[in-house]
This record gives sequence, structure tokens and C-alpha cells, in this order.
Amino acid sequence: MEPRSVPSSIGILLVGAGFIADVHSAAVAASSRAHLAGIVDADPGRAAAFARSHGAVPYTVDLAEALAWPNVDAVVVCTPNDTHRRIGAQVAAAGKHLLIEKPLATTLADARALAAEFAAAGRVLVAAHSHRHHAYGRAVKEAIEAGAVGRPRHARLAILGGWIWTGWDAWAADPVRSGGHALHNGVHVLDLVTWWLGGDPVRVFARGRRQTAAELRIYDYLEMVVEYADGAVSVCEMSRAHRPGSFGLRELLVTGTGGVIRQDWDGESSFLHTEGGTGLVPAAGGDGFTAQFESWLDAIGGAPSAMPVADAVRAVELGVAVEESIASGRPVAVGAAA
Amino acid sequence: MIRVYLEGSAGIGRQDHQNAMYRPAFAAHPAFELVTDKDKADVVSVAVALDRRAETIADAIRAGKHVLADKPLAATLAECEEIGRLAAERGVLVVPAHHQRFSPALRSAATAVRGGRVGLPWNVQCDFLVAGGDPAPTGELVNLALYPIDVVHAMLGLPVRRVHAVGDPDLVTLLVDHEHGVTSTILCGRIAELADVRSSGLAVHRYRVSGSHGVLAVDAAKPALRVSTAAGTTGRWTGPSTVDALLDVLAAGVRTGRAALGVADAVHAQRVVEAAQLSLDTGAPVPLESEN
Repeated sequence: MEPRSVPSSIGILLVGAGFIADVHSAAVAASSRAHLAGIVDADPGRAAAFARSHGAVPYTVDLAEALAWPNVDAVVVCTPNDTHRRIGAQVAAAGKHLLIEKPLATTLADARALAAEFAAAGRVLVAAHSHRHHAYGRAVKEAIEAGAVGRPRHARLAILGGWIWTGWDAWAADPVRSGGHALHNGVHVLDLVTWWLGGDPVRVFARGRRQTAAELRIYDYLEMVVEYADGAVSVCEMSRAHRPGSFGLRELLVTGTGGVIRQDWDGESSFLHTEGGTGLVPAAGGDGFTAQFESWLDAIGGAPSAMPVADAVRAVELGVAVEESIASGRPVAVGAAA
Repeated sequence: MIRVYLEGSAGIGRQDHQNAMYRPAFAAHPAFELVTDKDKADVVSVAVALDRRAETIADAIRAGKHVLADKPLAATLAECEEIGRLAAERGVLVVPAHHQRFSPALRSAATAVRGGRVGLPWNVQCDFLVAGGDPAPTGELVNLALYPIDVVHAMLGLPVRRVHAVGDPDLVTLLVDHEHGVTSTILCGRIAELADVRSSGLAVHRYRVSGSHGVLAVDAAKPALRVSTAAGTTGRWTGPSTVDALLDVLAAGVRTGRAALGVADAVHAQRVVEAAQLSLDTGAPVPLESEN
């Protein structure tokens, strides 16, 4: 891609002032190349409160109005998944760059449409698959690419938690609004492992479980198995179903022709032993959101994207296939094999 | 003393578990003595080539001998089932050498799970990777996989309803559905030699059991020391021998008429292995309606 002329400080419009907006706004605040230019939220009170706590930046409930503000160069979208298609299209039409929360969209057709619209507009579209930017995610990729374990044949990644969403009305627990857990959180691990292996997915087989409550409409535990064209296999787990509620675990194992890469559940942490039991104290640093934001700015400046649009589309395809496989109990062909 | 005759010294590929494992364990065990006259033996330790194993075990059973059988018990599910029928008819014990389930961490884990320490278990994840050694000519699905299949069986005690397998027979991922909606996943295979693992040693052997009220994470490489030198870091096992524990079970079985490990366990493992092979061949999950 050709270098692109960009302002000395890129004006960022933040759309959606919910839970995840704080980490994105922190990344903006930490950057020397960007500033927060405004906030949009469907709830005017929440928009106003967020604006006040972030330097009294302008706010509105009207996205079209905000996209017309003169100092808005790029947009970060942190809204529910089912709004991504509509909001993304508005951003592309306005000629702005976009960093959008994962998943890129809740259907493959919508994901492809967004990719096409940004390509036609000549603007940078990045889906926030933040784990690619966490220190562990990058380190595994670099080790594989350096040939540390030969050709990778198998990868296992588990990200397991013990917390569930805020209530029955949480949009993330609504399969229509979130696309299901495979689209909402599953895409994190599906994308990361596929990126590590560098393979072309050909089949997905998945099992899901509604562990916390039988009445859940999404699977709070997902086990997603991806087969790749070169014969490699990945086992990806994503959970909000584990107990106790304080449980949190991430572990990975990559098996190659020449060895294994492994990080166990305590691989980044110290142990804290107290009267209340034993807990973990994670090591500082490795903030993926800041790295992700800076990477997006690099891409806006013309550098190759660390999260290509095609990969974001593929993650949606994999997530959709996971939901299909759970429903049918059968493997689902993806990619060129579909 | 229980008299033991050693029958054969073969196995899959170049395996000689009889002389490498069973002979020294029998010789050292206080309950057993080795004999060279098969007619005078109470137990026959069978480690013949797999294509002769069922026939050899059947001959021992017909002669009224108890049997310790190298794993796998036989080449096919039908042979395993026939051995079970014959052993029940003649009233003798057949103990398959599924000794990994007697690893001390796994014995404790099975006790914890069966004792409700994680509540109702709903998922097990397992990695069982052997580094180096002689690859099984038949693939590791029919050689190594029965070990973790058996351990999961010992932990859960649940019939299997469906098996799906991906990968290849040397590095296979088994996706197993059990009764009550419980699932398990087993990664099993042989990888390259590693500097810090003895040849044919376990590079990774662990289980994570998720239950309604907790999670049990088991590293079956424990208990062990970590010894670091200029040549690298290795583990040094500090637990009791799994083969010794297997012989304890055999000895108790001979004395009481009941063993904690038997043909039914081998039938279970072989049924899962054969379903996995069929799944690899067809690319589809294989239902197992008959398991109980």
C-alpha cells in the first residue's frame, strides 16, 4: 500500500460508550498520534457522561452528524454486533477509516459487504481482534515463523472464564444481537489460532454447552475444532461457563514437527497466597489494545495491516460455521472447501 | 506367592514391554514369583505380537490361568469381547495393562472427580504427547490412544455415545460425547525427540476436568523434581511406578476374584479407538449406541 498523508494528530470519533469503550479511549489517550474528537452513543445521558469524563469532547446521538464534524478522521466502533453492518456502511460512505469491535459482522454476507465498501472507499478497515496484539499472541506467532517447532501440526488455545453477562437482557447473550457466542467471543480464538498456524481452514466441528443456565440462548462454553488444508488441527475453547465465578484461565499448546510451544495457566502470573486462598497476579505490560490502536494508525498511514480485512471476514465465516456445526452436530466445510 | 509365566516378548513394532516393564516389575513385587513352567503358573503375562494376542490369551484362559495382557488387549473389538466372554465363562481374571490410569496424580484425580469435588463433571480436556522413540507402524491411535481414553473412562465412568476424530493416526484429536451430555477431548500422538524428555517419555500429559462446581487441572507428569544442569532441564519422577500399581491390582484380583481393571475397560477403549478410526476414514462423527 502507498504511504498515505495523515494529520499530525488523527481525530478519533468513538461510537458506543459501553463496557469496551474505556479500553479503546485509553489507547487513544496514550497515543501521541491521535486524539479523541467526539463521542456518539444512542443513549444521550451516557454519551454526555462519557464526553465529560474525556475532556468535554463533543457528543451526539446522531452518527451522521458526528461523521460530518470537521476534525473527525477515523472512527472506533464499540456497539453491539448487529449494528456493525449499518454503522460500518455509514463510516465507509463518509470516507473515514474504521477500527470496529469484533466480529466484523454477524453474517458472512455482511462481513463481505463491509470489506467491499471499504476497499471501494480506499479506507482502512480493521476488526478489533485484540489478542493478535497481546504480547503472548505475538510471541507465539513469532516463534512459529522463526521455525522454533518446525511445521505446526496442532494448536490448542483455551480462554476460560467464570463470569457471565450482566443479565437476561444483555445484548451479548441475545443470539440475534450478538450473532451467538461463537461470533461474539469465539472469533477471538478462532482468528488467533488460525493466524498462528498460517493455514487455510477447510472444516469446522464444534460442541456448545449452556452450562450456567438451561434457559441461556447462547452457548456459554464453546469447543471449536478447525481442520486446515495442510492437515493441521486446532482446538479452540472459549468459556464463560466455568466455576467458581472468579475462575480465569488461558493456556496454549502448539505442537510442531520439531517441538512444542506451551504456556500454562500461570505462565504470565505470580501467585498470591492469602487468607482467602491463592490467586494470580498477572505480569504488567503487554497491553494489546494500545498495540492494536497504534497498528491501526500505522495502517492508516499506509503500512500493511496487522489484521487484514480478509482475515476478519474469515473469522466471521468460522464463527458462523461453529454455530452451524453445533446446531447440526456435523462438521461444516469452510473456505474453498465450502 | 502368585506364580507368573511370561509368554512372549513382542508387541506393536519393536516394543518389548515384557522384558522392559513386566519382567522386572514381577521380579521385584513381593506377591509374585516368576516360573518357567507354564503349567505351574497362576498368571500368564502375555506380550505376543498383536495378531496372535487374542489367540494366546484365549489359550491361557482355557488352561485356567489368569492373564496380564500387554495393551491393547487384542487387535479388534470382537476379539476383546470374545476374551471377556471366555474369561467370564472360565472364571479367570484378565487384566489389560492400562497402567497409565495408576499414575499417582491420576488416581487422586479420579478419586476427586468420582467423589464430587468438581460437582458434576461436564468436560474433560486431555493432552497425551510422547516424545521420540519408535513410532508404531500401525499409527499411535491403536497404540497410545487407549491410555488417555482409559484415564478419562476411569475419571468419568460414563458410557460413550459418539466419537469424532480429526488429524491423523500419529497425532489424533478425539472428540468424545459421553452420557449426560458430558464431552471429552483427547489430543494424542508421538512428536519429535525433545532435549528435556527421555526417548518415548511423555512430553505433555495433563487433564482438565470442568464440573458444575469447580475445575480440576491435573499434570500427570507430577510428582517429579526438576533437575537443571548444563545439558538442560529434565524431570525426575518421584512417584510410585504405574506398573507396580498395575501388579498390585492384579495381585488383589487373584486373591479376591475381582480386579479394579478388567476386560470391560479394554472393550471400552477398543470401541472408542475403532470408532475414531472409522471417523478418520469417513470424516463424520460415529455414534456408539451400544455402549453401556
